[in-house]
Amino acid sequence: MSAPQSSRALQRGALGMVLLVLAWEGVARGFNLPAYTLPSVSAILGSIFDHRTTLFLAGAYTFAEAFSGYVIGAVIGIALAVVITLIPMTRNAIVPVATSINSVPVVAWSPLILLWFGIGMPSKVVMVALAVSFTVFLSALAGLDRVDRRSVDLMRSFGAGRLAILFRLRLPTALPLIAAGLRVSTVRAVIVAIVTEMLGAYDGLGWVIYQAVLQVDFVKVWSAIFIASAASLAFFGLVGLAERRLVFWK
Amino acid sequence: MSATTLQSPATRPGTSPLVTALFRAVRGLAILLAVLAAVEGLVIVLNVKPWYVPRPTLVLNAILATPEPYVQGFLRTLTETLMGFTSGAIFGVGIAIVFFRARVLRELIFPVFVVSQTIPVIAFGALVVLWFGNTLIAKAAISFYLTFFPVTVNALLGLESVDPRQEALMRSFGASRFQILTRLQLPAALPQIFVALRLASALSLVGAIVGEWFGDTVGLGVLLLQGMYNENVVAIWAAIAMCALLGTGFYAVVAAAERALVFWGAEQ
Repeated sequence: MSAPQSSRALQRGALGMVLLVLAWEGVARGFNLPAYTLPSVSAILGSIFDHRTTLFLAGAYTFAEAFSGYVIGAVIGIALAVVITLIPMTRNAIVPVATSINSVPVVAWSPLILLWFGIGMPSKVVMVALAVSFTVFLSALAGLDRVDRRSVDLMRSFGAGRLAILFRLRLPTALPLIAAGLRVSTVRAVIVAIVTEMLGAYDGLGWVIYQAVLQVDFVKVWSAIFIASAASLAFFGLVGLAERRLVFWK
Repeated sequence: MSATTLQSPATRPGTSPLVTALFRAVRGLAILLAVLAAVEGLVIVLNVKPWYVPRPTLVLNAILATPEPYVQGFLRTLTETLMGFTSGAIFGVGIAIVFFRARVLRELIFPVFVVSQTIPVIAFGALVVLWFGNTLIAKAAISFYLTFFPVTVNALLGLESVDPRQEALMRSFGASRFQILTRLQLPAALPQIFVALRLASALSLVGAIVGEWFGDTVGLGVLLLQGMYNENVVAIWAAIAMCALLGTGFYAVVAAAERALVFWGAEQ
């Protein structure tokens, strides 16, 4: 995509968002919708401002959970894929186990994880790590497998060991796919953290949303949703930026 | 799965696709039983507490002791999943065609879709249940919301990968735009669409389960929550097993439909 074309797409995208906000505001005000149906954007923004300390702290709490789980999950996912490439024998053990764990929808694990790890932060970190590790594992494995057989043979003929082939050839080749997996996982990480928080937590955006639902304060629900969405987008943007730096040849 | 097994019914008239499918199912079942037996043995030998991993027979007994809630929950969650999946798939492909035809609309709306996907489903769930009441529609709506986006993205990708020369050829023969769409572009996009549908089969189940967490009384999501509140790990594992059964079963059906419809072989 050439530069002027992509900047036009960016403008149109921004325009689309502005139109959406205007239509939302117009519908909510024009039809005088009650807050439980659809509060106006301005009311939500006002509520975000009113509850800025609570929302910011809750957002930071959730982000801390999502980020630590994300890092742990990413390390586990990549490490498993590397182990499989270094020791091919382990593939038949690791892949079926990972697939069967993943055959259960990830949210179905959360009651069990909450019982095992308690209501505090650890249960959310474990859930996020579980959700992230499988996605990263699959993309890393696909990337590591993609390496051209002849390139491996060439390096081996020059006397390169398995580790050298891994670091000089396989990992760089796999990097675009790993980075894509990491980028997709960001949004998933925040969502899984919030979902688990809603089942039981002491703090965090999911907890705020749950409390607000109980208090029938739907403007607050929406403001927490806005913050969560913004946090996801920021996380996504940061990882995307790092990806462009790291995978500069793409 | 691979091209060779796909073509086997055609090249070897002796084995029908039904037999191959049956053989696969039996083999899968045998592997599953072997794994469960291994878990059973490991749990006994290592003396794992039921609090972590109960013996599979214990879980099976729990299901067989009171089968009704599990069967009912399975059917309810299946209904919600199917409703969300079908509507999400139809909407996803439809909107992809619209985006494909009208670039302006695509550039205006697509970013909104992207942003909408960052909304935590469960928060959205509270609102949806409020809008639609505690009905099947509410759960299906959450499931729909998770499903349509990947289908849109992949259908668009597939539609755009069509060779423009083929389109020009059809147009030179006087084909209408509708004919080009149904005879060329949609079939060409089918492999990509099915990649998304396989992913969506899992996502629609997640949507249905999460939707049930808002004060429903029947469903697999409800069973999960009840198990958690009663701190009954065996019941949670039983519900997880049912979820896995539903998830893999649905995935297998979608994959089988893919093999039947995209008979010329999808790029995996």
